[in-house]
Amino acid sequence: MAEVTLERVEKRYGSVVVVPHLDLKIADGEFAVLVGPSGCGKTTTLQMMAGLEAISSGRLLIGGRDVTVLPPKERDIAMVFQSYALFPHMNVRDNINFGLRIRRTPAAEMQAMVSEVARRLQIDGYLDRLPKELSGGQRQRVALARALVRRPGVFLMDEPLSNLDAKLRVEARSFLSKMHHEIGTTTVYVTHDQSEAMTMGSRIVVMKGGVIQQAAPPLEIYRKPANRFVAGFIGSPSMNFLELEVADGALVDGAAGIRIPLPERRSAEVARSGGPTVVLGVRPEHLHLLADGEGGQYTTVFQVDVVQHLGNEMLLDIVAGPHRAIARADADARVREGERCTFGIDMDRVHFFHPRTEINLAIAG
Amino acid sequence: MSDVALMMRQGSVAAGKLIGLMLLAALVFVWLGPIILVVITSIKSNDAFLAGPFALPTEPTFAPYVTVWNALGFGRLLANSFLYATAGSALAVILALVPSFALSRFDVPGKRLVFGVILTGLMLPQQTVLIPLYDTLRALNLLDTRTGLIIVHAAYGMPAQILILRGFMTTIPREIEKAAFLEGATDFQVFWKVILPLSVPGIMVGFTLNFIAIWKEFVFGLVLLNSEANFPVTVGMLKLNSDRYMAVFNLPAAGLVISQIPIVILFLLSYRKLASGNFAGAVKG
Repeated sequence: MAEVTLERVEKRYGSVVVVPHLDLKIADGEFAVLVGPSGCGKTTTLQMMAGLEAISSGRLLIGGRDVTVLPPKERDIAMVFQSYALFPHMNVRDNINFGLRIRRTPAAEMQAMVSEVARRLQIDGYLDRLPKELSGGQRQRVALARALVRRPGVFLMDEPLSNLDAKLRVEARSFLSKMHHEIGTTTVYVTHDQSEAMTMGSRIVVMKGGVIQQAAPPLEIYRKPANRFVAGFIGSPSMNFLELEVADGALVDGAAGIRIPLPERRSAEVARSGGPTVVLGVRPEHLHLLADGEGGQYTTVFQVDVVQHLGNEMLLDIVAGPHRAIARADADARVREGERCTFGIDMDRVHFFHPRTEINLAIAG
Repeated sequence: MSDVALMMRQGSVAAGKLIGLMLLAALVFVWLGPIILVVITSIKSNDAFLAGPFALPTEPTFAPYVTVWNALGFGRLLANSFLYATAGSALAVILALVPSFALSRFDVPGKRLVFGVILTGLMLPQQTVLIPLYDTLRALNLLDTRTGLIIVHAAYGMPAQILILRGFMTTIPREIEKAAFLEGATDFQVFWKVILPLSVPGIMVGFTLNFIAIWKEFVFGLVLLNSEANFPVTVGMLKLNSDRYMAVFNLPAAGLVISQIPIVILFLLSYRKLASGNFAGAVKG
């Protein structure tokens, strides 16, 4: 068993609280991704799990054991750093077996373990090389091998892909996911890249200001964000937000020329805002560019400001008064910059957020 | 910009460069001039020097080198200097390693104060510590001994070693150390297996600088040693200051050149290693 439990964990630097009371349970074998903007406390949380930062208050349990005050080597964890942190004066073999040597593992057993993990990670041809003689991807695999060889109960990964180029990053994501499926070790993965979080995690923990905003499987986070921050952080391009007045059964901004009828089935939800306005959240793929003559019940007009061709699709920067949004369109859609176009809105997929508290009104009591 | 203005601008740039070059040439002359003069003097006969101190030798000769080597027992002097410089530097570096590691890696209360106190050793003129050192060595029966002088050089050189090594160790990425801790290493194992090997360039810098400083050192050798057999080359060459050699100029020059050769060789051997980095490949892509 290697579940990880944080109970009211807090981290203070003097009088500055960077992580207020954090409660999180990561199940055995789970691939949990801590995601959030820079400074949100995700790396600090990971370092507290590793024992590299002291926990100011609260408890940390790994595999049912209270490890709050134990040093890193007694927590049965292994960590892969953003910068790989390979020992530059040791070759690949010595980097991988460093922990085994510290633990005085018999030489024959050590060699077998190193060979096996090196073969699995396809670095068995580089065992005598120094880190400076390796490419970025190879160094990353050496760092992974060093973590894997000890067969820890928990893997901790601090943005291990951020120093790779885009193509290599995609390959490495698949590799890590496959490795996790094969080995099944509990993994806590930190990243600021929401697409990495979506593709890799079995559960995503979105953090802001040291506080967990939402912890749920990727699709649930994407389809049912708990608040505006989560909705805007997850998804690329990010969700569009329009603060509109609720009047006469419609969402309105008269000056901008927006009038979107409000479906009856969503009106109770909107009413929870308790005020005259509500924030409409709509993902770019739920804003549909309508062809000339094509109509619909829930439509509004935007002016196309910028057209970005991505090859397989287009992204349209659209504007109506003070409201800016991004919409997806087919790659061969006929649209020009400056043109006023009608967009249909999938009102079953939109979200409504409280204008002040920013919580998702679908979830709010 | 008009052609005339462009030409004037180019002219002023050229003039600036010319002035800079002339200043550099003057500096080089001031710095290299005495060295060249000493070398030229060392390969002249004394009469040739007296006839023209700044003239190039018409009949260069290595006889002054042979004379000064035999007269002063230069072999023994060089051997003593080599012993003091090597052993003193090595001991200073060894003693400085652990404090440097602690000062560079650990957050302990009063760290700044401790570091400041250690660094005051750098500011102590030799003259202020001569009498206490003399008394201490005499009490320990180490006066006029090679061991005593080595210990003095090691202790006096330690603050500079700590300054150099601490500075170097702080450049070693923290994540390497964290990785070692996570792999199960103790503080000592991190120091011995990770920090120390990565500090070799810093150690070489410190050792080389201390070696040169001890090689050139004169006051401690003069005060704390009495026996000619223990003299370093700086003290041994004082003999050339006696009445016997009053009007002889080529011998001291030859002695100076001989005494500096080991330093030049050390520098030539070590400067490449000092310049090479040691962290390529440890971090980032």
